[in-house]
Amino acid sequence: MAEAFLVAEDLYKSFNEFKAVNGVSFTISKGEIFGLLGPNGAGKTTTIRMLSTVLEPDSGQITIGGYTIRQNAEAIRGLIGVCPQDLALYEELSALENMVFFGRMAGLNGRDAHAQAMAHLKLMGLEDRARGKVAKYSGGMKRRINLAIALMGSPQLVFLDEPTVGIDPQSRNNIFETISGLRDDGMTILYTTHYMEEADRLCDRIAIMDGGQIIRMDTPYQLKGEIGSPEQVTLEDVFLKLTGRSLRD
Amino acid sequence: MKRALYIALNEVRLYLRDKGDLAFSLLLPIITFALLYGAFGGQMTFEGTAYVVDEDKGYYASVFLEKLDGIDGLDVELLTPAEADTKLDRSDIQLVLYIPGGFSEALALGDRAQLNFRQRGNTSQWDQVVASMVRGVAEDINQEFQVRGQVSVSLQGQGVSQERIEVTVQKFLEQEREDPVVRVREETLGGSPDFVNQYLPGIVTMYVVFAITLSARVIVEERRKGTLERLLTTRLSGGQLFLGKFFASISRGFVQTFILLALSYMVFQLFTPLSFIECLVIAIIFAAAAGALGLIIASIARSEEGASWIAVVFSVLTFMFGGTFFEIAEGTTLYTISRLSINSYANKAFDTIIAQGGSLADVGTELGILAGVMVVGLLVSRLIFRVMPGGK
Repeated sequence: MAEAFLVAEDLYKSFNEFKAVNGVSFTISKGEIFGLLGPNGAGKTTTIRMLSTVLEPDSGQITIGGYTIRQNAEAIRGLIGVCPQDLALYEELSALENMVFFGRMAGLNGRDAHAQAMAHLKLMGLEDRARGKVAKYSGGMKRRINLAIALMGSPQLVFLDEPTVGIDPQSRNNIFETISGLRDDGMTILYTTHYMEEADRLCDRIAIMDGGQIIRMDTPYQLKGEIGSPEQVTLEDVFLKLTGRSLRD
Repeated sequence: MKRALYIALNEVRLYLRDKGDLAFSLLLPIITFALLYGAFGGQMTFEGTAYVVDEDKGYYASVFLEKLDGIDGLDVELLTPAEADTKLDRSDIQLVLYIPGGFSEALALGDRAQLNFRQRGNTSQWDQVVASMVRGVAEDINQEFQVRGQVSVSLQGQGVSQERIEVTVQKFLEQEREDPVVRVREETLGGSPDFVNQYLPGIVTMYVVFAITLSARVIVEERRKGTLERLLTTRLSGGQLFLGKFFASISRGFVQTFILLALSYMVFQLFTPLSFIECLVIAIIFAAAAGALGLIIASIARSEEGASWIAVVFSVLTFMFGGTFFEIAEGTTLYTISRLSINSYANKAFDTIIAQGGSLADVGTELGILAGVMVVGLLVSRLIFRVMPGGK
């Protein structure tokens, strides 16, 4: 079995009376793309916020790269990159300035930050617009920059919280190909999305969350096999069967 | 420390990109200074025109006009008799001086000569001033002729030529003008500079207190952009984040103060180079104290509106009780309350340097208190941010 890079054990997090995360446990192996799927309010983002050291769990243990989060949060921050669900950019600055700034925050020196920023911008097809103000970018371009910033500092583990939400097919395809490339480079990725077909194609394993708990966790093939022939059943069928068809707003 | 500086530099860069914010923070002190200058600056100088009809056109008429033209603030405009009549008729001007024909000839012969004023109705105060100046020049010429006449009479029959008498008298008269027997020394009591002395410290401290409002918003602005959470997942520590924001707020508060002090230095000549630097030192320490207090608000506030409101109320209270624009008598309840306002210490420090000619050594207590507020403010804001939801 591959080496576990991330271990989440029995995580709990409540906001007042609301139990956002209610006993979540899973491991992610090095080089694995792990999908975290679930309807709105399932607890995916809260889980990512705890794993990325932003939120402290009420109880439970998180270990990343051998460091426990309670004792070595700073060391963990040196291993991770985060692409948040909402855009987190300085719109007044250019894409390059944003990336160099976050590169410096990730511990890169000026020259390396600039070189990495240009390489990632090229990967995202934005090298020609590197010096343009982010405020003037399209939604898809902003999403791509949002993802590119998460890669600054060459993190070993990247949290991608719905990186393709609300963008045009071309940008979505570009992000999809970038993530595929990261997988080929051996990067460990925790990925959340509402696009089931994306998760099916990208993820090695998938955990489906609902009500703050993981209700099923397996490979996409095995999950589909639970309700029919994996060749004919889609992951969306599995998702709807497990989480129901009632609306979650 | 490096990351704190990157945070500060990024903050300054964002500030420079926001044209509205930039215009507000850089133009406002300049506008304030312009108003201050308009209200209290400059000197009251006379500027007037003497309208003259020269019917003589002789040597002494030209000497007279030259002397008149040499008076500071007084222009001489020559008119023809017809022009003068027209302008007087139309009330374009109220007063005209006529140098009658034969003026120079009469003086050359040692006879009495006369200048004539024609005025329309009651002349204005400015015309009265012009008339006084004309009379003054006439008096000067009159005295010169009297001296020349008396010297000529005294030396008559002693073989001294009239030309030599003229030259010698002229030389003595010029010496007398340069080094008069009776001097007039002007001493200004009260007046413009004191108004500036009185209000400038208050205006400077007011601008520094704006730093509270600016720094109160820095954390919620990051939160709104989503960049705060992203920053919190990097190697940047909470302490470095606060230190960076703190440096940025000092620099912003200081730039405004620098503009005001530099303009005051250049225009009002309020400072010596040393006292100017001393004021900048006070401004930095005060901006640091204000910035640290702003960060306490920043660590508490959950929205930009909330941060702005808390900062505005706090700033107004600081102005009101800090004796910013009025003196608070010692021993009163208000004086006791004013001790809680950082403005009162900054005002006293600026006042000591600007108005009383003191030095930094005289304001050690005030600077110590401001530095203490800065340290406590930074520690408290950091502590609050650590325990607040979404903090670190």
